[in-house]
Amino acid sequence: MKKFWALFFYFWPIVALYFCWIAPESNWWFPGEAMSPMGVRIESLFYLILWIVAIVFIGTQAALGYALWKSAARDEGQKAWYSHGSHSLELIWTIVPAFVLVFIALYQMDVWAEYRVQSFYPDSTREEGSVAELAARQFEWRIRYPAPGKKLSDEPESDDLYWVNELHVPTGRPVKINLRTQDVQHAFFSPQLRLKQDAVPGLIIPVWFEIPEAGEYDIVCAELCGWGHYKMRAKIVAESEAAYKAYLNRLQDEQNEDGYKAAEEETN
Amino acid sequence: MSLTSNTAHRLIAILVSPILFAGCSDRGDSSFVYSDRTLSLMNEAQTGFKDVKGVRELVDERFGNPQTLVAWQKLPVDFGGIACSVATTPDASAAVKSLQFEFAEGNSVPEKVSSLQFVTGACSGETAAVLKWDAATGTATLVSALQNAPAQGDQVTFDGGSTLKNGRMLYQRHCSHCHGTSGDGNGPTAQYLYPRPRDYRHGVFKFTSTNDTSKASRNDLTRIVKQGIPGTYMPSFLLLNDSDIHAIVEYVRFLAMRGEFERKTASSLASSFSRDAVTSRVKEGEKRAEIVEELKAFIGADLKDELGFISDELAETWSVAQTEEALVTPKIPRVADTIESRRRGRELYLSKTLNCANCHGISGRGDGPQTTDFEKNPVTNELYPEPGLHDVWDNLNQPRNLVYGIYRGGRRPIDLFARIHAGIKGSRMPSFKNVEHEDIWHIVNYVLSVPYEVEPGASASSQAAAPAAAAASL
Ligand code: HEC
Ligand code: HEC
Ligand SMILES: [Cu+2]
Repeated sequence: MKKFWALFFYFWPIVALYFCWIAPESNWWFPGEAMSPMGVRIESLFYLILWIVAIVFIGTQAALGYALWKSAARDEGQKAWYSHGSHSLELIWTIVPAFVLVFIALYQMDVWAEYRVQSFYPDSTREEGSVAELAARQFEWRIRYPAPGKKLSDEPESDDLYWVNELHVPTGRPVKINLRTQDVQHAFFSPQLRLKQDAVPGLIIPVWFEIPEAGEYDIVCAELCGWGHYKMRAKIVAESEAAYKAYLNRLQDEQNEDGYKAAEEETN
Repeated sequence: MSLTSNTAHRLIAILVSPILFAGCSDRGDSSFVYSDRTLSLMNEAQTGFKDVKGVRELVDERFGNPQTLVAWQKLPVDFGGIACSVATTPDASAAVKSLQFEFAEGNSVPEKVSSLQFVTGACSGETAAVLKWDAATGTATLVSALQNAPAQGDQVTFDGGSTLKNGRMLYQRHCSHCHGTSGDGNGPTAQYLYPRPRDYRHGVFKFTSTNDTSKASRNDLTRIVKQGIPGTYMPSFLLLNDSDIHAIVEYVRFLAMRGEFERKTASSLASSFSRDAVTSRVKEGEKRAEIVEELKAFIGADLKDELGFISDELAETWSVAQTEEALVTPKIPRVADTIESRRRGRELYLSKTLNCANCHGISGRGDGPQTTDFEKNPVTNELYPEPGLHDVWDNLNQPRNLVYGIYRGGRRPIDLFARIHAGIKGSRMPSFKNVEHEDIWHIVNYVLSVPYEVEPGASASSQAAAPAAAAASL
């Protein structure tokens, strides 16, 4: 029985190792390939941490299993040995993790800065301003673009363009959006872009990303924001500069629709 | 990694965590509930007699229940299914089990068929299950023989009702927790919302492109489902695909027609046979047994005609809403959005004849004098407990705060034109269809400018903004 427990603690690191191994490859709970340059960098940080954590987990489990196995093999009469209070052991297990943490903290610094600190955002996004405002509300994403050729202002302008649940952006260059919420906290999460940012009432939070390839990317809400949280989905449509411009012009035409042309066609 | 090992991994993962999958099953039954108006009738009127049907059965036989929907062909609803006709039969007997079909030009041949219904011919009304379908030759093999002999040219529908069934499934998943299984606007989440989710059973929808006396068109409902209603809890369902949205819209129309049919049928009995009416009639000396006899005679004879009128009217009004004539169409294009136009709009807004300010307030904040009056419920004749306007659903109906710049029915100039021209149906926002179209455009220009400045031209910055906006609208 004693040996069973030793084996039991050997078993779990093996299961863990197995799952770490298959999860990315079978795309099990993983959002697929990273689709933005920043996403690729964030992903490599994720894997770095995954490796460190996996090694530490397996190492401590192996040590635990080893201690159990050794004691189980010992005969009953032998006296216990107390290791409590070993100064050098304590130093080791404080200093080693501290080094690891400091290493991670330094190693990720530039990614973090570019991802979150506004003064490190790509220059072009700081000059251009935000291309759209994405306002979360229970349970949808309301979108506001400036009129073609104008800059987005924080408060609505009379010629702004509106849409819902479908954000169009140009491909191949960094773009910035203003994230807001109209009610409670929500979180903007685009799994393929490896991008996640809370939307906080009263704040306008600029978020930037770059999508090299045209296509559709998911937006989901990642903050439990109410009963309809699960269906708070939208999509990003990334398209070439020309298609993006054409889209905004179409949106503008539609928004200025006065119903008159239809009447003309009717009489023709 | 190969596909099979991938599947194996997944299998292991599933075996390890069976608990994750426990408790996920489809909840089976649901049924339509009858309206309060039906339930206020005396029992006999609701349930009928041995040989005469009561209101409940009259409704159910035409509309069914969620699990057993009925496609009442009289209604202008796209129930779904593919129309085709019998091309050849091996012999002209009822025993045939294999039939060849042809499709009208432009109709694509389905890949799968599970049932077919005869629409015309000797077999009209018969439904047959299909055992095998050969799309290449258009040949269906039936599970069992028909009761009558089919003939060449008989009209047949494949998988009739498929759109409605799909609509029901999607509606249950996405809409019923707010709008209720029966479309009574009383789903489990409804009580927490203001404005309340729409009760479809009046057959009335607020935000339409049709004129003040017409119903909502399919396009109107589609637009609402895709765009949601900003400023309310009605969310956008833009990411559903078009055929799903079509199915949901047809189902919403079906529920609206069901509600309207039930409402009108019950109404035609209510004056003489509601519980209250019967109580007072008995008080005045009539015998209950006599009233029951009268009811039986009424349902047997007069109500039949009445039902004919009700269903004709349903079919007619919902079809008319689809026509061009029903649309609100401005006679002139939008007037240029200048300061002068906005000023003219504001004059009209404040004028005694239109009196928008009486409800919306002088500065458009939705706080006009009428919002502080206590009103009477037109049906019960009692005062509502809270001050303010009330709509046909008996809910408090706050005039819109125009300063927010959130337009529930859409922000395009044509949307606002239609809102003012046709009013907001069911709500207290009246129709201004007799106002000159040019004047309506001035009002639209003014309303759209209110979020930026209540007094047109009051601030200097607007002078610069106005020409730009006018240019954009050309
Ligand atoms: C979170 C609750 C909620 C859900 C879910 C919801 N609705 Fe609504 N819906 C509302 C509310 C609230 C209104 C009323 C808004 C108003 O009166 O201005 C409404 C109004 C409507 C209207 C009336 C529009 C008009 O012009 O009068 C239609 C049609 C409608 N909803 C259809 C749907 C359909 C179809 C679905 C499912 C795909 C759905 N709704 C899901 C809350 C909801
Ligand atoms: C009797 C009261 C009343 C009068 C008079 C009235 N309104 Fe309204 N109005 C309402 C109510 C109530 C609503 C909200 C309806 C709803 O959504 O249920 C409304 C809504 C609106 C909306 C919002 C439309 C949208 O899509 O959100 C506009 C714009 C509007 N009214 C403009 C006007 C104008 C312009 C006039 C005068 C020509 C006017 N109203 C006169 C009661 C009134
Ligand atoms: Cu959310």
